[in-house]
Order: sequence, then structure tokens, then C-alpha cells
Amino acid sequence: MLIEQLINGLTLGSIYVIVALGYTLVFGVLNVVNMGHGEIFMFGAFMGVVVTNILGWPLYIAFVVAIVVTGILGYFLETFALRPLRGKEGVSHLAPLISTIGVSIFLENVAHHFFGSGNQPFRTSLSELKFVLGSTTVYYVQIIIFVIAILLMFGLTFWLSKTKAGKALRASAENLAVASLLGVNTKRTITQTVIIASAMGGIAGILVGIAFNSVNPQMGLSFGLKGLAIIILGGLGNVRGAMVGGLILGMAETFIVAYGDSGYRDAVAFIAIIVILIVRPQGIFGTATTGRKG
Amino acid sequence: MLGELINPYYLQVSSFILINIILAVSIYITLGTGQLSLGHAGFMSIGAYTTAILTLNYNMPLVLGVIIAAIVTGIVGTLIGIPALRLQGVYLAIATLGFGEVVRVLFINWDGLTNGAIGLSGIPHLGREIFNLSKSMGIEPDMFGLKNNQFISLAVFFVLLIITISVIWFFVRQNNSRIGRAFSAIKMDEEASEAMGINITYYKVLAFGQGAMLAGFAGALYAHLMAYISPSDFDYHRAVEILIFSIFGGSEVIWGSIFGAVFLSAMPEFLRFINEYRFMIYGALLVLMMAFRPQGIIDVNMMNRFKRLMPKKRGEKKHGTGNKEDQ
Amino acid sequence: MSKRSKLLFTVLMAFTLVMLAACGNSSTDDTESADSDDVVKAKVGVISYLTGSGASYGEAITNGINLAHKEITELGEVDIELKIEDSAGKQEEALSVAQKLMNSENVDAIIGPTLSTEMQIVGPEADLNGVPILGTSNTAEGIPQLGEYVFRNSIPETLAIPASVQKAIDKYGAKKVAILYGNDDVFTKAGYDTMKQVAEDLDLEVLTTETFQLGQSDYKAQLTKIKSLNPDLVLASALYNEGAVILDQARKMGIDVPFVGGNGFNSPEVIKIAGDAANGLIVATPWFAKKDDEKVKKFVEDYEAAYGMEPDQFAAQAYDGFYVMAEAIKNAGEADRDAIRDALAEIKDFEGVLGNMSFDEEGDIIMEPTVLIIEDDEYVVFE
Repeated sequence: MLIEQLINGLTLGSIYVIVALGYTLVFGVLNVVNMGHGEIFMFGAFMGVVVTNILGWPLYIAFVVAIVVTGILGYFLETFALRPLRGKEGVSHLAPLISTIGVSIFLENVAHHFFGSGNQPFRTSLSELKFVLGSTTVYYVQIIIFVIAILLMFGLTFWLSKTKAGKALRASAENLAVASLLGVNTKRTITQTVIIASAMGGIAGILVGIAFNSVNPQMGLSFGLKGLAIIILGGLGNVRGAMVGGLILGMAETFIVAYGDSGYRDAVAFIAIIVILIVRPQGIFGTATTGRKG
Repeated sequence: MLGELINPYYLQVSSFILINIILAVSIYITLGTGQLSLGHAGFMSIGAYTTAILTLNYNMPLVLGVIIAAIVTGIVGTLIGIPALRLQGVYLAIATLGFGEVVRVLFINWDGLTNGAIGLSGIPHLGREIFNLSKSMGIEPDMFGLKNNQFISLAVFFVLLIITISVIWFFVRQNNSRIGRAFSAIKMDEEASEAMGINITYYKVLAFGQGAMLAGFAGALYAHLMAYISPSDFDYHRAVEILIFSIFGGSEVIWGSIFGAVFLSAMPEFLRFINEYRFMIYGALLVLMMAFRPQGIIDVNMMNRFKRLMPKKRGEKKHGTGNKEDQ
Repeated sequence: MSKRSKLLFTVLMAFTLVMLAACGNSSTDDTESADSDDVVKAKVGVISYLTGSGASYGEAITNGINLAHKEITELGEVDIELKIEDSAGKQEEALSVAQKLMNSENVDAIIGPTLSTEMQIVGPEADLNGVPILGTSNTAEGIPQLGEYVFRNSIPETLAIPASVQKAIDKYGAKKVAILYGNDDVFTKAGYDTMKQVAEDLDLEVLTTETFQLGQSDYKAQLTKIKSLNPDLVLASALYNEGAVILDQARKMGIDVPFVGGNGFNSPEVIKIAGDAANGLIVATPWFAKKDDEKVKKFVEDYEAAYGMEPDQFAAQAYDGFYVMAEAIKNAGEADRDAIRDALAEIKDFEGVLGNMSFDEEGDIIMEPTVLIIEDDEYVVFE
């Protein structure tokens, strides 16, 4: 049972990681916690349902559609909820937080309206493939999810540190005005970032659909809140922190069910946030300065 | 004559509006020092459960239960407020969000005391308690030409009205005092106000504790108004709803938040078809408000214009320096 | 008096005045029964969960009521005016619309509200106002005990679950069970309380008790634990939404034992969501759409023709509930709240699509639930 639970924890953790990477990317550049990310992720999952279940198209198209749709949603989020607040005089630093909460509430209810409140099945042959190792059954999906999470993390690290666009992004994150003076098209960089972050949410959404065969409008909130907990845990804006934080949370939630009381599963993440914020506000991997930002 | 005029339906809706006004004021106070709390639903549930358990299990009188509930929530709020001071903006919002969720999960799992998700029923009902009390004092609804249910709804409404007026009165006074000025100074610029010699630690904890206490108080009243509570009454959506009252109506002036609570709680009653789209509208409202009018519908300027329209009175100067004109 | 307190007073006075003015139009006439016709005229209010996450329940309920209303109007024995209001599944809303129905619309009886949590609030208020109220979908314990005017025609979990567990045990000779339930929902928590009691009464060994939360996606941790303990049966108190996903994940993981569920687990949707994984689910329900009975066949046919889908238990219970209400109004002979209440209490051996129904002295339904099992993607009677 231990090995199976470890695999369960890794699978859940990997999905958390991908969700959290989206948060972290946006925070890193804009210093904004995008509360709408969870709902964008949920839309990604629903795109998977629409493509594979209703239209009956193959899975890879579902990925493409989900990435495109969540990317567009990200673009809208940036245009309507974030850009109008940027650089405006007298706007409180809480404004983007509140407006993205607005986006999340809006999207959740749109999904309610269009997809209904119930669970939608997600049928792919991929989720049936498995192999048996000794007494434990391992599904290919579980491995794929883990690999995708790792790839996304390294891809993101590489992109941020090695490519020109990534450097422009980090420069913008450092200081928007100076980056702009140095010839970085900051507006484009920011839009790009939000779109990439949202598309990652879309990927995570599809993966949840494949792994758990359950897609519903409420999942945006529950995964979104967990994602928030992870970036606090790992340090806001910290890619490696998101990775470790996500895996820790996935494991912790699985093991509290396995060896503790499953009723407290949802509390783990939030107790962790509160403790971390009080003891070490910059997160496990954060540097001391981030704690004062926000 | 009187009997026909009084409709429990309108009184019921008004009672909910009054409770929402108290909730809106509670978040207004916290926002007033630049702190964003997403944990007000959690504080509300602490208040509701405290009084429910005290009155149900220990036969405590309703009034005492509500008072203790408010005090307990105030203490919890202060205890949360002190470490929360180290957190700013986004961090505080997320920490309070986490707090609210932890409280909810705790109430769900604390089966022996809270009856879990099934909730607590049979909580003494404010109206029925007043009814029994007045009956024992020999006052019958018939004396006023009222039916029992009309009497009960009317009694609840007036009690809540008096409570709400007192709450508003207290905080309007506070806004005009040293405390209120300190709050708004902190909201404007924390470092500058510290340099001016304002004890920001004290005032921020005070605002947070007051907000929590008021939310707990509203929660306690809610419990006695509904006579039944369950953890799902106090979820994340409730916290967002409370926040929207203030953000929509206006978080700069207390009247803005009150207006937000009245308008947003009454709207679905008048426009039933809106119900289906209510949260969609709430979401869109938040985005639009932040983009175009982050201070809310009613702001300081509007209040000033409104005041100029009112006939001038003696003592104008003395009070004129109060509130938020000096922002 | 300072200017600000003046302002405050003005606002509040205005508010109170508006209130009173608004109350003015409330005194509608309720002299509608004055007609010299033999037919009893009455007004029945319906409180239903029509918007929000549980809107599908409310929709089925109103469909059932509307269908029954249409048929009864055609029969012409009673003339009932329907007034349907939405509660959005929220207690405050349910109470507000209940007050509206009782005081502004002056209804003679109420059907609804959908959820037990709503009934907890509305029931006592209706009782206080002396308005008979019939719940058609409230299955929590203690609902009819809320007051003399409170009735229900939905079988409580305390009746349904023991029936299904007993039958499953008889058939499979199960000794060891695992319990899985949603702990943040009234319905599933109440189901669990009954399951725990039943397991105790039947001397079953409970290997583990696991919980999950509404809208959760990942049940693998709980299921892995259950699998490692090798139970003979899994007792699952879940709504069909979560339940179907649990079944799917459990079967994929290799848990092949039967699942026994409560009333909320019973829905054609389970098969739609879980597919083959749904096989082996045992539920007890008052409603069986494939029953070999003229009434049931006709109801299913008419319902499908009118709304394009198979009626579920919510629709069937509401359909029967409205018939019971109409019967009571007919027997009462006048649109009087107290008379309708007494007539409801006297309903005995009413034959509806659910079967034979009577009310006990508390206003709770007396009837035999049917135990069903999903076999080959279809509900069949479990023998």
C-alpha cells in the first residue's frame, strides 16, 4: 500500500505543481496573485471533456484546444482585469487581487451555466493503460503527469534563464520602468507571461481529467486554493519552490488520508500556509525580501 | 389596519439586509486600515457556532450568548491579527482565506460539538424568544391587531434595526475620533503614519479585531435569525460576498459599504430572474469596479457633494474636519 | 444633533417608509374560494432549487409537479393555482420566498423546499404560520418532527439504507465492510450516520471509515486504503456526482466488491458518468422507473414526452407529492390551511407511482423502498 500511496501522492502533487507554476509565473513578473488561475485551469479541463467526450476527437487535439482556449482566457484576464489597474495612480496593491477574484467568480458561474454543475466523464483509452509491478498497479497516465510536470519546470527555468524573451521577462519582473527604457516591450512581455501561465493551467486541467475522470465547475476553486497554498509554501515567484511545494502538498494530503483522518485533508494546505506565513513569510525557498512585497 | 400593512415577507428580507449591513461594516473597518481579509466568513461562523452551542447546550439566555459570541470572535480575531500584522496585502488575504477554510473544516470534523455537516438546529429563534417573553409579560399580538407571525417578524426587524443603527452610530463616531483618523492615515501611507508617531501595530490589530468581532456578532444574530446553521453557510463564497458589499458600495466611507449591502441584498428580491446570474454579475462587478471605480459607488467626493446639498447647520466646522475629508 | 446623525436618521426613516409603503400592496384578497362552483379552488406554493449548483434537482421536481398539475387540472376535481418560487438552494432565500408565498401570495399549502437544510428553516416558520408544507425530497432525519404542519413523502435515509444494506448482506454474506462518505454535506453525512448505526445493529466489522469532500476529484488515496483492507462490501454515502467518480476510480483500481449507497446515489446519471464501472451498485429507492405497473409506465411515458428525459426519483416524488396534496385539498373540501393539514394527516393507502403511501402520526411517509442494483449498465430489482 505504501508504494501505491506514494504514486498517488506523486500524481496529485505533480498536478498541483503545474497549477502552482502558473501562479508563480504571474506573480514573479507582475507581483500579482492571480486568483482567476484556478478557474482558467477548470476551463482547460472542460475543453478536454468537450473535445474527447462530446466531439469524440483524439486526445492530442484536446491538449491543443485547451491550450488555445485557456491562452485566450489569459489574454482576456490580462486585458480586462490586470492592465487597467497597472500604473494607475492611487490604485491599491489589493486591486488586482480583488479584480482577479471577480474573474474567478465570473468564470466559475459561466461554467456552471454552460456545463452544468455535475461531474463530466472524461473518456480516453490512455487512462486505461497500466502495468503491474509486483503487487502494485501503475498507470501510464501517472508517469506521464509526473514527467510533464518535471518537463514544464525545467522548460520554464530554461526559458527564463536562457532565452531572450525569458530575460526580458525577468528584467520586467525586476523593474518595469527600467526594462521599458532598455527597450523591452513590457506590455507584450506581460501579456505573453499571463498567456503562458494560463496555458499551463489548461494543460493541468486536461491532466486532471485524464487522471481522475472527473471534471466539474467547483474544481477550479479547490485546486486553485491548493495552488495558492503551494506558492506560499514554496515562496511566491519561485519556480523551484512551486515544484517542491506541490509535491510536498500532494504527498501530505495523500498520507493524511492513508495514515490519519481523511476529514482533515483539505485543512493540511491551509494550516501549512498559516504556519509558514507566521514562521517564515517568504516561504521555504523564498528570499527574505519577498515577504515585504505584495 | 396596521395588521394588513405588515408583511413578514418584507420584514424578513429587511432583516437579512440589516445583518448584511453589519457584515459590510465589519469588512469596511478591516479594509479601512488597508488590510484585506477573506476570513470574515470564518469569523462569522465562530460567532454563530459560539452562541448556538451556548444557548443549546448550556441553556444560556440568547442575549448573553450573542454577547459572548462577539467577545470570543473578537479575541480570536485579535489573536489572528497579531501575527497577521507581519503580513502585508496579498499575504494577509491568503492567510485569512486559509484561516476561514481551516475553521470550516474544523466545524465539519468536530462532530461531537457541531454535529458536523448536518449542522445545529433548534437554536433559539430571536423572534420566537421575544414572542414568548412578551407573552409571559402579558403582551399579546392581538393588542396591536397583529397576527403572531407578524408580531414576530416585526419584533425581529425592530431589534435588528436598533442594533444596526447602534453599530453604525458607533463606527461613525469612531471614524471622527482619533482612532478613525489613525485608521485612515495608516490606509494612506503606513510608513508616513508611523513616522508621525501613530502606533500602527496597535491600530491595525484594533481594526482587525473590531472587524472580526463585528463579523462574529453578525454571525451570532444570523444563527438566532435562522435557528439553524451548518458549516456550508460560511464558505469561501460567503467571504467573497461580504467583500463585494463593501467594494461595490464603497470602501472609503461607511455609507458606501452600507449602501452596497442594502443594494446587493435587495436586488435579487426585486429582480428574481437575476438570481441565476447573480454570482456572474458579482464577478463582473468586481472586475469593472476595480478598473473604473476602485473606491466603490459612493466615495468621499460624493459624500462631500451630498453634504453640501444638505442645509448648513451650526457646528458644521467642528464636525467638518472629521470623517475622511482630510484624506 | 450632529449633522451626521441627522443624515443617518433621514436614511433610516426613508428606509422604514419605503418598507411600509412596500407592505401596502401585500394585502391581496384571499377570497378566491368564494366561487359557488363545486370545485375546490386552492393556491399551492412551490419552493424549488432552480438556480445554482443543484438546479438539476429542482428542475426535476418542478417538472414532476407541473406534469401532475396538468393532469389534475384536466381531471377537474380540484382547481389548483401553482406558484413556483426559486430558493437557489440557500436557506435565506428559501425563508424569504416562503414568507412571500405565505404572506404575500396567501397560498393554502406549500410543496418543497428541495434541500433538508432549507426545510430546517422553512418548516418551523410554516408551522408557526399554520401553513401545511410537504417536502418531496427531504430525506434527513427529524424533518416531519419540525412541526404539526410539516409532512414529507420522500423516504428518509434511515429507511432506505438499512433496507439496501440488509439485502446486500443476505445475498453476499458480507462480514467486513468499509465506509466512505462525504463529510461536508448534510445529505451524505446523514446517510453515514445511518450506515454506522446499521453496521452496528447487524454486527458488521467496519474496517475503516473514510471521508471525502464535495466536488473532490481525487479519491485514490482513500480507495487505495480501502483496497488494502479487502472489505466484502463498501458502504458509500455519496451524491451521485461524487459517487459515480468514486465507482470509476475504485473499479480501475481493482476494487470489485459491490457498493451499497444511499438514496442520493440513485440516479441514471451514475451510469452515464461511470459507464461499466457503475455495475454492482446497490441502492434502495422509493422509485423504480421500470416497474411493471400501469401508472408508472404512463408517468414515464408522459414525462419523457414532455421533458425529453427519463424521470428520476426527484421528479417521481414531486409528482406523487402533488397528487397527495391535491387529494388532501379535495378531501378538505375548502381552501383552508387547517382543513388541508388535517386532510393530509388522514391520507392513507394512497396509490401513486412510488407505490402505496400513508403518513404516520408525525407526518412522515410510510412505504416500502425497492432495492435496486446496477447490472449491465441498467438498474434492476435486487433479489
